[in-house]
Amino acid sequence: MSDRQLTRASLMRGGAALAAGGVALATWPLTTASAPSAKQDAEILRFALTVEDLQAAFYADAIKRAALKGELLEFAQTVGGHERAHAAHIRDLLGASAPKPRRFDFADTNADAKRFGATAIQIEEVGLAAYNGAATSLTSEALADASRIVSVEARHVSWIRDIVGETPAPRAADRPISAKEAQAALARTGFLR
Amino acid sequence: MERDLRLDDIDRDGAIADALGTMHGHTRADLLRGALVGGGALLAACAAPASASAASSRARDASILNFALTLEELQAAFYTEVERNRVLRGELKRQADTVGGHERAHVRAFRDVLGSKAIKRPHFDFGGATEGSDAFRRTAVAFEDLAVAAYKGQAPHIRSRAYLASALAIHSVEARHAAWIRRLAGKPPVAGPFDEPVSRPAATRIVARTHFVVRRTSRKGPRFTG
Amino acid sequence: MPDIPAPARGGLAIGAPEPLRADPHAVQWAPLRRAAVARAAPSAHARAVARLGSRTPENTTNLVLVLGRARDPHGGLWIRARLPARRAQTGWLPRSALGGYEEVHTRLVVDRARLTLTLLRNGRAVFRAPVGIGRAATPTPAGAFYVRDRLTRYASPFYGPVAFGTSAQSATLTDWPAGGYVGIHGTDQPGLVPGRISHGCIRLRNADIARLARLLPVGTPLEIR
Repeated sequence: MSDRQLTRASLMRGGAALAAGGVALATWPLTTASAPSAKQDAEILRFALTVEDLQAAFYADAIKRAALKGELLEFAQTVGGHERAHAAHIRDLLGASAPKPRRFDFADTNADAKRFGATAIQIEEVGLAAYNGAATSLTSEALADASRIVSVEARHVSWIRDIVGETPAPRAADRPISAKEAQAALARTGFLR
Repeated sequence: MERDLRLDDIDRDGAIADALGTMHGHTRADLLRGALVGGGALLAACAAPASASAASSRARDASILNFALTLEELQAAFYTEVERNRVLRGELKRQADTVGGHERAHVRAFRDVLGSKAIKRPHFDFGGATEGSDAFRRTAVAFEDLAVAAYKGQAPHIRSRAYLASALAIHSVEARHAAWIRRLAGKPPVAGPFDEPVSRPAATRIVARTHFVVRRTSRKGPRFTG
Repeated sequence: MPDIPAPARGGLAIGAPEPLRADPHAVQWAPLRRAAVARAAPSAHARAVARLGSRTPENTTNLVLVLGRARDPHGGLWIRARLPARRAQTGWLPRSALGGYEEVHTRLVVDRARLTLTLLRNGRAVFRAPVGIGRAATPTPAGAFYVRDRLTRYASPFYGPVAFGTSAQSATLTDWPAGGYVGIHGTDQPGLVPGRISHGCIRLRNADIARLARLLPVGTPLEIR
């Protein structure tokens, strides 16, 4: 403990020696922002659906452009299929309240294999971080279901990073982002018309 | 010849059950006695009452964290040993070194939060899996896929939102690991659109069958002083 | 704008990845799972150099230091091991004869001229004490050995509060209960330490061996000069 900075916050938490930021078992983190509910689940799923629709459309566009070969093409085909399956699954869950897919404009992003790869990494990372950010607000049931998608998104991003030569897993723990941040990041791509 | 993963064996000496803690608050002895048949008590233990006491929530989360810690210790020891043995080269070595660094960080994080409640570090015998690249690859694929499925299985049971956030942050990193090693093993990085969970008892059984976790003390045999 | 709660702060502090530092002082050892024949080369057809039981003479689990590994033409894995011996001996054992690996970062050095025992951890001396060693007629052998077990069963005044068995075989009988191996133990005659006093064993004063016992893991390589 002597080589760690004890912050005032951690002293107030009391008990065990912790690195700054950890929460001791002795002081129970009973935090809930807003309580999980079916209504909130639907809100979160609707947002997830926009991301899945964007991703599915992105891969479809990439394949159409025919700039991809070999493993990059295999990646786009496989992952595009997964994103379509994810979107279909979420539509199924939402039933009547599911929004229709919006239109996306990828301009000439996918005319170039290198740009495709960099963009795929970007949208997969944003999607994964958004899922991780929202997942703790889901009901247990919705969480159990959504988590089956989340790890697949992580596999996607690991795969494409590996293909283009980036380290597949840059960190020991993935950082979540808020829906707001995710929305802003996607808006910056210019793909949302 | 080094031992392959033996899929037909069971956890005969209870080392795994001990290491991975009790299942739903029942001991392995209960299981063997058939105390769980009829399952009234088990159902009660599995149920998630709307107003669980803080103490029982804390205890259950601690149990889940210890379960995760055991899986992380298993992975960390595996990657550490293969790196120490210096048997890997190139991309495979880079994967092992990097992933090992992550698993060691995970172990430290769980131990920090569990404090004296953390399980003792188990002893391992990887039986050659850390001594050749083929055996390493096979084992690493199994470990990473198992870790993803196990975290997924536990997530809905975690009461604390904070611990759930951390578990999910690790869960997606394990999935990155899994895709990475699968690609290095010539397997599809992602098998399908959905990954399925594995329950704690099922994960325990899978680990038990590897015989990687060993007992160091034996009451019957000579006293092992290591 | 979606009305979705902000992400929860994590309850674990997951820090930076932890790379392994290269460790020139790391030594691996492994227990024997069963009796085995150690051979001159990594092959079932090579000459036998020693037979190892799964138990030590003290009836604890036998162990060897791991020095290297190799495969035979059939892909079988063999481990080059430091064996119990009179001076220094290595041999090849099938991997299947051994259990899981453990690691130590310590080294024990006994200097017969200076009558000292020194424990090094990660290359730095962390313990030193005077020792009694074998008389001229029953000398403590020089060579490369290792600590095989730690015993508190022999809590007799002659051996002191704790004793360590080693892999060092003596050409003559020792005071070691099973005879023939060099032990490191306490003494009921502390006034004789340092000195050349024993039948081969290494004796420390009781306070010293009690201190050593807190620092010395089983499997530690032992060099007797």
